[in-house]
Amino acid sequence: MASIIRLPEVMANSTEAAIATWVVDEGGEVAVGDVLAEIETEKAVVEMHAEESGVLAKRLVEPGKVVAVGTPIAVLTASAGEEYDLAALLGDGDGAAQEPEVPSAEAVQAPGSSGSASSGPASSGPAPAEAAEAPRGARVFASPLARKLARENGVPIEALEGSGPGGRIVRRDVERFLAQAPAPAPAAPVPASAPAAPAAVGELVPHTPMRRAIARRLTESKQQVPHFYLVAEPRVDALLELRAQANAGSARRKLSVNDFVLKAVAAAFRAVPEANVAWTEEGMHRFDGVDIAVAVATEDGGLLTPVVRGVDRLSVTEVSAAVADLAGRAREGRLRQEELEGGSTTVSNLGMYGTREFAAILNPPQATILAVGAAVEAPVVVDGHLEVGRTMRCTLSADHRAVDGALAARWLAAFTEAVENPLVALL
Amino acid sequence: MPQVTPLEASAPWVEVTSTPEDWAAADPALLADMLGQMHLIRAFEELVLQLAREGLVHGPAHSSIGQEGGAVGSVLALGPSDGVNGTHRGHHQFLAKVIAYVSPRLDLEKLVSEDLHVALRRTLAEILGLADGFGKGRGGSMHLQWMEAGALGTNAIVGGGVPLAAGNAWAQKHAGTQDVTVTYFGDGATNIGSVLESMNLTAAWDLPLCFFIENNLYAVSTHVAEVTGEPRLSGRGPGFGIASWRVDGMDPLAVYLAMQQATEHMRAGKGPTVVEAEVYRYFHQNGPFPGSAFGYRSKDEEAAWRERDPIDRVEREMIARGLLDADGAAAVRKQAVDAMAEIAALMVEDDPDGKPGTRRIKPDLWPDPAFVDVGVRGDASELEGLRTEEEATFSGELVETRFIDAVAGVMRRRMETDESVVVLGEDVHRLAGGTNGATKGLKDAFPDRVLGTPISENAFAGLGGGMALDGRFKPVVEFMYPDFLWVAADQIFNQVAKARHMFGGESKVPFVLRSKVATGTGYGSQHSMDPAGIYATSAGLRIVAPATPFDYVGLMNTALRLDDPVVVLEHVDLYTSTGLAPAEDLDYFIELGKAAVRRSGEDLTILTYLSMVQHSLEAVEQTGVDAEVVDLRWLDRASIDWDTIGESVRKTNNVLIVEQGTLGTSYGGWLADEIQRRFFDWLDQPVQRVHGGEASPSISKVLERAAHARTEEVVEGIGRVVEGFGG
Repeated sequence: MASIIRLPEVMANSTEAAIATWVVDEGGEVAVGDVLAEIETEKAVVEMHAEESGVLAKRLVEPGKVVAVGTPIAVLTASAGEEYDLAALLGDGDGAAQEPEVPSAEAVQAPGSSGSASSGPASSGPAPAEAAEAPRGARVFASPLARKLARENGVPIEALEGSGPGGRIVRRDVERFLAQAPAPAPAAPVPASAPAAPAAVGELVPHTPMRRAIARRLTESKQQVPHFYLVAEPRVDALLELRAQANAGSARRKLSVNDFVLKAVAAAFRAVPEANVAWTEEGMHRFDGVDIAVAVATEDGGLLTPVVRGVDRLSVTEVSAAVADLAGRAREGRLRQEELEGGSTTVSNLGMYGTREFAAILNPPQATILAVGAAVEAPVVVDGHLEVGRTMRCTLSADHRAVDGALAARWLAAFTEAVENPLVALL
Repeated sequence: MPQVTPLEASAPWVEVTSTPEDWAAADPALLADMLGQMHLIRAFEELVLQLAREGLVHGPAHSSIGQEGGAVGSVLALGPSDGVNGTHRGHHQFLAKVIAYVSPRLDLEKLVSEDLHVALRRTLAEILGLADGFGKGRGGSMHLQWMEAGALGTNAIVGGGVPLAAGNAWAQKHAGTQDVTVTYFGDGATNIGSVLESMNLTAAWDLPLCFFIENNLYAVSTHVAEVTGEPRLSGRGPGFGIASWRVDGMDPLAVYLAMQQATEHMRAGKGPTVVEAEVYRYFHQNGPFPGSAFGYRSKDEEAAWRERDPIDRVEREMIARGLLDADGAAAVRKQAVDAMAEIAALMVEDDPDGKPGTRRIKPDLWPDPAFVDVGVRGDASELEGLRTEEEATFSGELVETRFIDAVAGVMRRRMETDESVVVLGEDVHRLAGGTNGATKGLKDAFPDRVLGTPISENAFAGLGGGMALDGRFKPVVEFMYPDFLWVAADQIFNQVAKARHMFGGESKVPFVLRSKVATGTGYGSQHSMDPAGIYATSAGLRIVAPATPFDYVGLMNTALRLDDPVVVLEHVDLYTSTGLAPAEDLDYFIELGKAAVRRSGEDLTILTYLSMVQHSLEAVEQTGVDAEVVDLRWLDRASIDWDTIGESVRKTNNVLIVEQGTLGTSYGGWLADEIQRRFFDWLDQPVQRVHGGEASPSISKVLERAAHARTEEVVEGIGRVVEGFGG
């Protein structure tokens, strides 16, 4: 029995992806869990695992080609040489009504999408206007203008409900969607006709999907989420001393300042759990554990935020190992999709570059992000005396919809307390 | 028993035969010209056949080897400003006229002068399709034109050149010259309508046109006796009142003598002539094999005709008179053959990639492929510096004017200021300005330039085309009903529209065609089309569709100033409408390629023209949709206003193309295609269209109304667009 393998929705809001590499050749046998292909999404290159065993009879998508989520990408047969009817499998024939196998990750959907991303026909029938609802992941019918407007405004077309003939997404649908956004995003200044390249010098490098995703998400965040910022400057003499001792010992790995920062963040959330929340339209989401996303710059200029789970329950050594593993694989583009999902906050640390202080843009839907500067020697007043101490400026960005000023201040105080008393934090 | 009285045709029909006395009396220089021309032509054509055999002539090579006597004998009776045109088998006619122009007296000792060498070279280059040809390689063997020499252009449509020749003759006569035009065609063409219509028309108007029938007995493989009851084809002439001659075409002197009589007749203003010369082509329709190889005639027949070869005949007569000896005759032939070999060597070379002995065209002689569409139409530089006006910004006095009065008014004004403007069409000279008053008052004011034609659209449209190609006059041809374009299709689409491009891209074709559009008048299936879509298929035509009296004046002035053929569409519904037009000023122009936004709007772009502009405006009022109504005014692909269209589409993102006529011949299809290609990312829905039904409108009032679009259909169309808005 042959079956179709479709492009999974590898992350929420992802609408398309490319097969980066086929790992299994046509005719190759696969067992459940085998890596079939590497898929390049907007954010990462992820491995796609076989969910059934069999023989990869045919690849339907060339490497490098960007296709929509739900697109058939391969045919899997039970045994080698098995006959199959591709047209029927693809739903051109009697099987047209069959629901395609799309991962059920739809709980995490873009606002306003409610699963109606496509209501056009599944196949190219003669009368689109009369066609039944198409399964999710099938073709989205949208006018050329609607696609253009959506692209310019960073709106995923699937997020829109089509009100035109046959459910076609038209200009008004995009405009309505944009109008509903909290802070109406001004249309990107796109020239009327040809994109105006910067005059004379330089070159135009095409965007990678990741670059586009970063641009879109951070633009949305900065425009739509009411940010506010609090700065603290804890002393880190004790923390650095502790780190030096740990690294001087038999530790299998060198601990970084950031590993201790993560533990301090976890300690702060444990002390102020009210801040461990995220805003959603339906209600305030309270997180149980402390999962912390760590911002990792990749070599090709991208930015990934893999999540370290249960930091509050891990030792600093375990945290350190987890971060090293995630960061390493992030740079190699080998993160699994689930490793990029969730997290109640993010830590972004530019201290290793000597950055003294900065403020970060929230990583939606998280309500907080901590921007950590370099630990430097600084004049410190202790009991009326000036002395040289080492401090580290940290800026907390918070989503005012979820976290008020006082709450953020309490959290930052708890964090400062944990940084300055690292042993307590590690306990 | 009724009394029967034999009748005689009013025009004479005679056969001319040369006598020994004629040969004895013939001017030796004339005989030398005959011999030299025929040798040059034969050697040239033998070379063409040789190159064809080598695969170096793309397309057919129709040789006239054997029938040179007709063309040479006739051309020698002409002067340099007389014109000739011909058919697909036209090398010999073209060459005879060109040789006579370049070397009016041939020297048999030195047959090919430098100038003649150049002319022969350019002729061969044209036949081979090379950039150096008279038509830059576009025309090839069947479209040879050199206006300077009076070679008006040979033609690949059988009989197609004849109406054009009539136009040339009209221009010659009305320019006050004694010049004549000779149109060469064969026995096959004698039976086609263009020829017979032109015989009638030129006889009616006493035009100096000679219908020179080269009766070579075979239309491809069909013998003349199979396809006509009177195979003596000059017999056609008297039926039209045309003086006619029959002559042995293998006897060049007899042809010359007959042609002398015919030209005298024409130069005396007595009207057209028919000269039938019986000739014989030694080879098949085209290519290097004799007709007998294809089984439609015998080798014996061919041998008998070769016995009467015109070159041999002139040589014999000249030797008999002591004007030439055998060696001298051979030397003339050798000069011709050598000259052709020399010319060929300029164009072909050994093929380095081919088998030994194969040749190829020298690669650098081909036209640049980028030249493919150059000169489809002119560059409109003739409009530079003209005063353009728009109604909205016009500073002079505007008065309420009937559309039809603007039509007649501007034409009257132009005929006053420009003596070259000539109006022709059916009944344009009577009925107080034709069937609708469009030419009112013109006949009285300009009796010689307002021509009521016979009912023969192909002939008079082509006659206008010939006038335009000549250039001394600007024809304004009227079609009483738009569907008549099919009747005149060859002249409009194959001749007038293609002439500039086909002959190299430089010849001007200042031709205006006024076509009435009469949808809704009860004239039924064959009179009710909107022809815009059909005219728009033709690259060489510009099309204007004035919707207001003000625009009519300016657009007609621009049309008359352009050196391209322009179709001016006029809707009968508009004729009786009124609008503002200048009280005095009829001399302004409307810019080429400029549409008019009749209503600004945000939500929808309606692209329309002619009477549908008003229907669209009404429909917009009724629906309350904020539509932008664009009156296209210029409809052809080259002149349409993409700037205005683009600006509007980018603003509204929705397009409705509105026209009145039936789907099949409709205009909007190509426009919709072009819009989606140019503005795809700006469209919020498919380009929508309003047009008539599938079938042509029929007579029944109810069915006619149901068959075409008016305000109600535009309202429906707007409704469809609104549905597409979503929301």
